[in-house]
Amino acid sequence: MKGRRIRIAIILTILSLLGTLISCTQKPTSGLQTELLPVEGNPFVSFRILLRIGSAHDPIGKEGLCYLTMAMLANGGSNTLSFKEIQNKFYPMAATVNFQVDKEMSVFTGTIHVDNLENYYALFKDMLLNPGFREEDFIRLKTNQLNFLEKTLVNNMDEQFGKEILNLMLYEDHPYGHHEAGTVESVRKLTLEDIRNFYQTHFVQGNIVIGLAGGYPSDFPQQVITDFSQLPAGQTPKLNLPQPRSPQGLEIMIAEKNTPATAISMGFPLQLNRADDDFFALWIAQAHFGEHRQHLSWLFQKIREERGQNYGDYAYIEHFVQGRDKFPEPNHCRQQQYFSIWIRPLANTNRHFVLRQALRELKILIEEGIPRERFELAREYLLNYTKLYAQTLGERLGWQMDSHYYGYEDFLGEAQKRLPKITHEEVNQAIRKYLNSHNVYIAIITDEAARLKEALVANTPSPITYANPNMPPEILAEDLIIQNFPLDTQPEKIWIAPATAFFQTTGLPREN
Amino acid sequence: MKVRQPLVPLVLSLLVIFHFSLQASQVFPYNYQIETLENGLKVVSIPLKNPDIISYYTIVRSGSRNEIEPGKSGFAHFFEHMMFKGTKNMPREAYDNFLTKLGAGTNGYTTDDYTCYFVVFAGREHLEEVVRVEADRFINLYFDEEMLKTEAPVIEGEYYSSVSNPNRRLYELLRHTAYEKHSYKHTTLGYLEDIKNMPNQFAYSQLYKKRFYAPDNTILLVVGDFDHDELMTYVRKYYSPWPKSGYKLVTPTEPPQKKQKRAHYEWPTKTLPRLAIAFHGPAYSDTQIDKAALDLLAEVYFSRRSSLFQRLVIDQQICLSLSASFPDRRDPYLLIFNAVLKDEKDLPEVEKAIFEELTKAKNELVPTDLLRDIKSNLKYSFLRSMETTDGVAGTLAFYINLTTDPGTVNQLFDLYDKITPENIQEMAKKYFRTENSTVATLTGGKGK
Repeated sequence: MKGRRIRIAIILTILSLLGTLISCTQKPTSGLQTELLPVEGNPFVSFRILLRIGSAHDPIGKEGLCYLTMAMLANGGSNTLSFKEIQNKFYPMAATVNFQVDKEMSVFTGTIHVDNLENYYALFKDMLLNPGFREEDFIRLKTNQLNFLEKTLVNNMDEQFGKEILNLMLYEDHPYGHHEAGTVESVRKLTLEDIRNFYQTHFVQGNIVIGLAGGYPSDFPQQVITDFSQLPAGQTPKLNLPQPRSPQGLEIMIAEKNTPATAISMGFPLQLNRADDDFFALWIAQAHFGEHRQHLSWLFQKIREERGQNYGDYAYIEHFVQGRDKFPEPNHCRQQQYFSIWIRPLANTNRHFVLRQALRELKILIEEGIPRERFELAREYLLNYTKLYAQTLGERLGWQMDSHYYGYEDFLGEAQKRLPKITHEEVNQAIRKYLNSHNVYIAIITDEAARLKEALVANTPSPITYANPNMPPEILAEDLIIQNFPLDTQPEKIWIAPATAFFQTTGLPREN
Repeated sequence: MKVRQPLVPLVLSLLVIFHFSLQASQVFPYNYQIETLENGLKVVSIPLKNPDIISYYTIVRSGSRNEIEPGKSGFAHFFEHMMFKGTKNMPREAYDNFLTKLGAGTNGYTTDDYTCYFVVFAGREHLEEVVRVEADRFINLYFDEEMLKTEAPVIEGEYYSSVSNPNRRLYELLRHTAYEKHSYKHTTLGYLEDIKNMPNQFAYSQLYKKRFYAPDNTILLVVGDFDHDELMTYVRKYYSPWPKSGYKLVTPTEPPQKKQKRAHYEWPTKTLPRLAIAFHGPAYSDTQIDKAALDLLAEVYFSRRSSLFQRLVIDQQICLSLSASFPDRRDPYLLIFNAVLKDEKDLPEVEKAIFEELTKAKNELVPTDLLRDIKSNLKYSFLRSMETTDGVAGTLAFYINLTTDPGTVNQLFDLYDKITPENIQEMAKKYFRTENSTVATLTGGKGK
């Protein structure tokens, strides 16, 4: 399936000759692509206008520009209507335009009842094709973006904060290596002129995929194509990404703040993505080792269920954003992926122990592979659970788009064919080929960072205590091993910085 | 241009068989059947033709509202965790493996009024197994004291997972300050000191189960691809042995508030300042106009299209967000106004603006065209929530918890249709009195 990216040029009907409709000639005039999913009789229509542009396309020094541009389109006025006027018109329809920005793609989404399709689309189109770029919208949205970086991300959402620090470590000096919202320094410098230029340069036909799903009239897609064909021709070349730097040993970045709980994320670049044949085998391994918010996760069983350490512990073989319920949100496709482990916040007193435990479990996974019965279980799970992934119109359309990004006709359908054929040995081979437990980036948010660093460097034993005085002896015996499990840490590879130092400028605050 | 077929043919769009008409009085468009077993277990079934997916919801009408004894805050939520410990017939690991093989989307959640467990799965051939296993879990749940002691710290971990979220802390503070007697005083997660004491609550856990985890306090809601008669055959077979409880909960009556209360939380690090203003309001009702009229009022004066939102968020830009939240609860609950500000110095101005807006609501009549737009918004929003089988089940579970009757949805929307501008004005005068309010603020410190 690899390389079977569907690229279909849009055939436009050209209406010409003296301004009258005397002939129709179909002619490829644009690079617009479409993804259509008609569902006759469905009372809703979902839009996904996807751009193959993301934060990795931010110019150096203007990090956060893509995000602010998308925000200006989705949450700003058009040339004809102010944002307030748009809100008022959307309101009776219970309508919105939402957006998301990832490293290499961004998407505008909206779902509307067919009763309101015409009115909604008129506004939606106007917002995207005829943006107002008003100063007042710019100030409002830029301030929001700055507040998110300066206050919310660093102070109010430690789980996400940890994941974002890991991202900085994974992709230092790499186009992926900044938060989608940019940095405080770069966003402060952004101007309305920057937004206009980014829009003009990147809102071109070759970058856009028009996605429609639901009970739209048969001639509606053509109307949308015609409208979007007013955008200039052109295409931004696909990013030629450098290889991200692999960690050399355990590289640990500690963000220090006053907190009773420690958040940990760790990982390393992965040399595969969903397009690779090995993905399916490694996917089974991931389901076994750390399936997102499921009891199947081995880490969840060992850390939470057996020991009650925290709320959950998971692992991923690609960038994961939770969408509806606990399912992966579509349209976060990337050329380059990473492996990660997410340890949800736990008492500071147990941080060293759990860090050891997670790395030890990873080591065991690599050395011993998956037990056969767990392989069977994880595979059966994936075969059934993935049937729940794409239920709403928007999800189905998003998965269709992602399938084509990675070269599949239908990725979830492909999984149904491929997973039953994967062998136990293939999974264990994939684990050995792609995973390791020695070269890992580790992001930690905690208090008393120097004390943790000292303990890590000295490999100080890290026993824990339990509320249950009668813990099973096999767990206590394993605890003795875990609390002394050696981590090959080097003091020069453990950095401490105050939490407030992150996202101020590009890269990591390594001064300390 | 290329037209593609659905990715997963099994998952056809649920709503394809229903084309709504908003002129119809029945905003909930699906037929449902209700049966009650002799032991009091109520079953609501909504068979749907299209999807190959079944959403199996067990709604226990017990939430943090039921935590009426001191020191037991958060126990409904803790018990939800214990419900995943299995039975002697099917211990935890076997139960986990059953759901894993099924590839089910499964979890539980606890609210103020109810605790809900769901299993969403593909394949009607699995229905009997699911009914059997879930019935076994609810009838024969087994855990010992050691299992409880191991699970208890997980709740502390859950508390920690949100410890950096200032909204949580502000909400805790608001409820704690606004209520004197009623169990809505604490949040679902509970007070930290009670959470820390959970390892010592084994005896209470047994009492809690006996009181509330019983068929006469539980509703099964099943939505999706199944046959009703087949479902009922399984339900009767597996749930009939479940003994009734007969326990009658009496929640403390909250005394009328006689003067305004204020509270403040100093956040240890930098954060955006927050303001929450709450008024004691009515309980949910699909017959009395109070709550329905207030729902519409919230939209008139505090939605994104309201003049106050547009002034404070869009024009003056002193607020990052502004909203009203009037949740439906079984007992009288709070009418809450929230604002996230950009600068602490504007807190008094925003507070004043909210009170002024409420004064306006008392002194003017809402334009009828605006009311029409609001009713339209509510209906389309409701329809959007039911795009999947799980959406139907999840939405309906909430309403069923309130009255045990799925018909309450249509009754509520009928009530909305009847609300007049005069009704809204009357309710503004009745509830938005200064002495009935609680103001909570949170501002950021300068810590590391």
